[in-house]
Formats: sequence, C-alpha cells, structure tokens
Amino acid sequence: MEITWQLLLMQFIFGLSIGSIYILVAGGLSIILGLLDVVNFAHGTFYMLGAYTLYVLISLSGNFWVGVVSAVIIVSLIGGLTERLLLKPLYPRGIFYPLFMTFGFSICIPDLIKIIFGLTGKGIGYPAGFMGAFLLGPIIIPKYRLFIIGLTFVTFLGLWLFLKKSNLGMIIRAATRDSLMVEVLGINISRIWTFGFMLGIGLAALAGAISAPMVSAIPDMGLDILIDSFVVVVIGGLGSLSGAVIGSLLVGQVVSFVSLFAPAFSHAAIFLVMGLVLILRPRGLLGEEGRF
Amino acid sequence: MKRLFVILGLLSTILLFGSTYAAEQAQLGMTIPLSGAYGAFAVDMKRGAEMAVEEVNAAGGLFGKPVKLYIRDSELKSDVALRRFKEMTEKYNLKVIIGSLSGGISLVVNEWACKNKLLYMSFCHTSIPWYKEFCGYGFGAGLVPFQSGQAMAKYSFKNLGKKWMFIGYDYRWGWDNLRGWLAESEKEGAEFKGAIYLPIGTPDFSAFIPQIMQKKPDVLAMAVAGKSLVSAIKQFAEVGLTKKVKIALCKGQIIDFKELGPLCDQNIYGASTFYWKLQDYYENARPFVTKFKDKYGRIPTADADSAYVGTRAVLEAMRQTGTATDVPKLISFLKGFAFQYNKEPEAFRACDQARTQSIFILRGKGQQAKGWDVADIVTQIPYWDTMQTCENNAKGFPYAQIKLPGK
Repeated sequence: MEITWQLLLMQFIFGLSIGSIYILVAGGLSIILGLLDVVNFAHGTFYMLGAYTLYVLISLSGNFWVGVVSAVIIVSLIGGLTERLLLKPLYPRGIFYPLFMTFGFSICIPDLIKIIFGLTGKGIGYPAGFMGAFLLGPIIIPKYRLFIIGLTFVTFLGLWLFLKKSNLGMIIRAATRDSLMVEVLGINISRIWTFGFMLGIGLAALAGAISAPMVSAIPDMGLDILIDSFVVVVIGGLGSLSGAVIGSLLVGQVVSFVSLFAPAFSHAAIFLVMGLVLILRPRGLLGEEGRF
Repeated sequence: MKRLFVILGLLSTILLFGSTYAAEQAQLGMTIPLSGAYGAFAVDMKRGAEMAVEEVNAAGGLFGKPVKLYIRDSELKSDVALRRFKEMTEKYNLKVIIGSLSGGISLVVNEWACKNKLLYMSFCHTSIPWYKEFCGYGFGAGLVPFQSGQAMAKYSFKNLGKKWMFIGYDYRWGWDNLRGWLAESEKEGAEFKGAIYLPIGTPDFSAFIPQIMQKKPDVLAMAVAGKSLVSAIKQFAEVGLTKKVKIALCKGQIIDFKELGPLCDQNIYGASTFYWKLQDYYENARPFVTKFKDKYGRIPTADADSAYVGTRAVLEAMRQTGTATDVPKLISFLKGFAFQYNKEPEAFRACDQARTQSIFILRGKGQQAKGWDVADIVTQIPYWDTMQTCENNAKGFPYAQIKLPGK
C-alpha cells in the first residue's frame, strides 16, 4: 500500500467523522456523570432508541430531518421519564443502585425492541442530497460524513454557548461542582438533574439518529458504542465535557489510522490508549484530580 | 406353587419394564446464538431443525415416541456453547448434538464431541471435515469455508475481473475463505491487491475506504456477514464504491440482501447453498419452501436448509439403524449417506463427512427487488469444483500450505 498524503488526509477526515459520533455520545455520558454522578450504562440504549425512533418517524412522515429532530426530542423525554421514575428514587441509596438500574434498563430495552421490531436491523436511507461524495482530485469526501462533522460542531458550539452564557447553563455548571450548594441557594436541584439527564440523552439520541443511515437501526447497536464511549470518557477525564471532546477526536483518529496499518487491532488500539492515559495521567487528559 | 408364582411374577415384571427400559428415546441437543447480533440467522436454523423434527413426529416419531429437540442459546460464545452442550448431555444423556452458526464455535464443539464420542452434526460453514480438524465424529451440513471462497473466486475471476482485494473477519471463517480465494487466484493468475482483517462485528468501515479506493480492485471479496455487512455496503455505497468495484460476498445471506434493499444491486454477488427460487429448478425445493413459508411467514434461507437437512439426516440415521444412542452405528450409516431433500442429490462424503452440495452464485436485484425476490441465480457451481479430493483433504492440501498475507 502506498502511503500518500491524499490517503492520510482521507483517513484524517474519516477519523473526524468517527470522532464526531463519539463526541456526541461521550459528551452526553460526561454531562450525566458530571452532573448526577451516575454511570449511565443505558447510554448506548438511548443511542439505539434514537435510531429506532428515527426509523419509525421516517416511516410516518417520510422526512429525514423532521425525524431526526423529533427523535431527539422524543428520546430526551423518555430519558427524562426514566430519570424521574427509575433513577430518582435510588439516589439516596448511593452510586451503585442507579448504576444497576441503568444496567437493567440496558438489558431489557434492546430485548423489547427485538420483540417489537424483530431481530434484523431496520435500514434507513441517507437523506436526499447527502449520498455521494465531493471529489477534490484524488480525495473523496463523503457528503454525509461532512454533515456529521458539521452538525457535531454546531451542536457542541450551541451546547458550549448554552452552558457558558445562559443562566440555566450556569446553574448546571454550578450543580456539577456542588449540587448541595445549588440546592441551598433555593434552586430545585432535582429538576436540574432531570434536565441534565435529558440533555445527555438527547446527545446520545442525536448520535444514534445520524448514525442510523450508515449502520442501520439494530437492537444491539448500543453496546459497541457504549464501551467505546466509556473509553473516551476515561481518556478525556471523568465528568469533563472538554475532555470528552478531546478524547473523542483522539479515539476517532486512532481507529482510523490503526485501520490503515493494522485493521485487526483498530478497535483494540483504543484500549491501549486508555491504558497509557491511565498510567501516565490517571485522572484523564482534562479530568479533575480527586473528582472521582 | 407360591414360589413359582413369585418367580413368574418377577419374570413378567422384568420383561415388562425391561422392554420399556430398552425402548430408545430419540433426542437431539442444539445450541445456536439466539441472542446477540446473529439472532436472526440462528432463528432460521432453529426453524429448519424444528421443521425436520416436526415432520418425523407427525409421522409417528421414532421408536414409538416423539423425537425431542432441546435448544439452548450459545450467545455466540464458544464457552457458553460448550457449557450448554455439557448441561444437556448430562441432563438428558444425549449422544447426538447439532447446531452452531459460527464456524469457530463448531470447531470447539467438534473437538469436545470427539473427546466424548458424541455424534455432532454441524449446520454452519465449518472446517470440521478438513485435515487435522477431522476426527470422525463431526458431520458438516454446511459448507467448508474454503469452498465458498473458492466458488466465489472462480465465478469472479471468469466474469468480474482479475484484480481483487479481500476484507473479512479476523478469525477462522474469514481466513479459510481467504485461503479459498488465494488458491483460486493462483490457479487463474489473478492479481491479489491485499487483505484487510477486521474484528468481528465491525460497524464502521469508513476507515478502510481510502485504501480500497487507492488499490482500485475489480472485485472486493468480503468474508463479512450480518449487521457488519449491511453497514459495509451502505458505507461503500455512500462514496460510490459499489459502482466502481464488484462486491463478492463469501456468504450471500438473503436476510442481508433484503435489508440492503436497492443498495444490493447488480454489482453485489454472493455465494449461497440455498435460495428459495431453487424451487423453479428442483421439484423437491418447492414443498420445503412452501411449508417453511406457511409455517413461519417467510422463505427459508440457506441456514434453515442446512439445519433442516442435517437434522433430517440424523433422524433418518436413527430410524434406519434402530438406535438413537449407538454413535458408531449412526456414524457408520451417515458416512456416504445419499439423499435428496431440498435440491439436487447430495451425500455426506464417507471420507470426511462433508455434505456434497452445489454453491449458487446470487446477484442482487437492486431496484427490481420485490419482497424476498432480492437476487437472481447467475450460476451453479457443482461440488466437485470446490471440494478437494478425499486424499487432498486428509493432507490439508492445498489450503494448509497457503500462507495468509500479513499473518
């Protein structure tokens, strides 16, 4: 195989698109972990629900964009209900009970999806105009991958602005640091937690919806992405949103470039990176010392 | 007198219960990955096996009793499959086990069956009949992976082009398919452009696209199945790769063809041992297809066929030998057993216990696909074109001598 700059550039672009999906999923996971101290084992399940909700909505409406927006809203609401009804009663019992609940959720829901939709995946077409690629000489840049990169950038820019500039964002950041103090100041912390959970789930659902045209909606699709997302979160630093972004971009490039030279190890390589980070900097790249 | 009656009573009891105790119970234990990513294919195997058992039971069963089929989920893990088989054989005193969707798991099960002297009928693509894997207790109702690779390669080099590249799972099934391709490539003077080995279940193929496009093969051989295959074709189509390169699937699963829809067009080919449209060519395929469709609401796949044939052959062996537990007798019967169940006349070859069956090359129908009519049969490759001779198989020739690139 000839290693040309064109080949490397294409690998980099594909690595960015892989990393973009991780940014959305791991970002959501970080928000939930940072705000609620909940290790959400059901995060991949909500990613899967995003894909299936899109499938249903496209079947009903015929419109991909309406489907994506609606899928994010619907799955976020499901996330909110989950947090209120299943997790909230368990918070006083410590960190393990909510973890086990999310684990149980991650087992039950995919099985329910299999009963409703069957064992095989559901194909979702690419949106009109997004099939194909831009050609820059020998460099091929798939349109849909560019869209994913762009959408992730816009989403996180919006999220950053929200967290930095809005009152609610400020409250969420404060609650991440010290939820007790926020409560003492008279703010209903329970609602903040629910909102934060919905925000994290919304990001996962968005990732699932936009991934669906590439990988189809499959009942077990959440498991693979969940494991990778945990790796990203550990690399980036538990509870750090910026860390999740950096970790995702790093992991995306690792997967892409290792695929070029040793494809059989493309997935295993991210665990090697995680191991190195844990040895050299146990709190993660941007994690807080003593936070977890 | 009293003593005489006691003796007669005891003798009668012995004769009564003795004869009941001697009556065999035909039992089969099966493990398949009902949960997990390949559940849809496993369900087809389950249905094929169940259909064969139900047919026999509808005709009165065996030895005056219904045949019992015990099914357990292997979760696509060899340790779980073995554990389930052990549990079943201990609980039910099984002597015959069937199943496996994964070739890798079938090899592990075969080794265990050989050690414990159980008859094992494998349904999947497996190398049980080949070289050092063969031990005399395992039968293959599916293909040996070299065959599917070689059949697909044979067709590809004649019709699609001679510059080829391989992408496949990094485990035994993938490697054996690649060996089949390499063997044929050497024979035909084709140009091998490289191999990409993937972790099983890879969902994102985007990182492999640039190198495939750089190498510009005529044909991309793929030993990938299920959700990964669907993802791969979708992602290749995204960049127009499926228009530039012919895709040759070592295992053309109709379920995957259907899921791909219009993307599974005339540039996509797959090797299969059964397709429901064989009913237009073989009379005995029609009742199998019709019955399966009536019972389960859709057409049978190649997995259903191999499970049905394997189960039916084992039950026929039990019927004809009069035993469900005498493994040497059953094996002796099945060696060389000729039958014609769902398509052409076939047999379990005596020397290696592999099923002699044709391979059909399917081509996607793309936009013309309707329901389960998702492919056309473009050619049939008879078994003698893909099966090695008994002597070659015993020596592992030629595949054992083929070094896998990059390994």
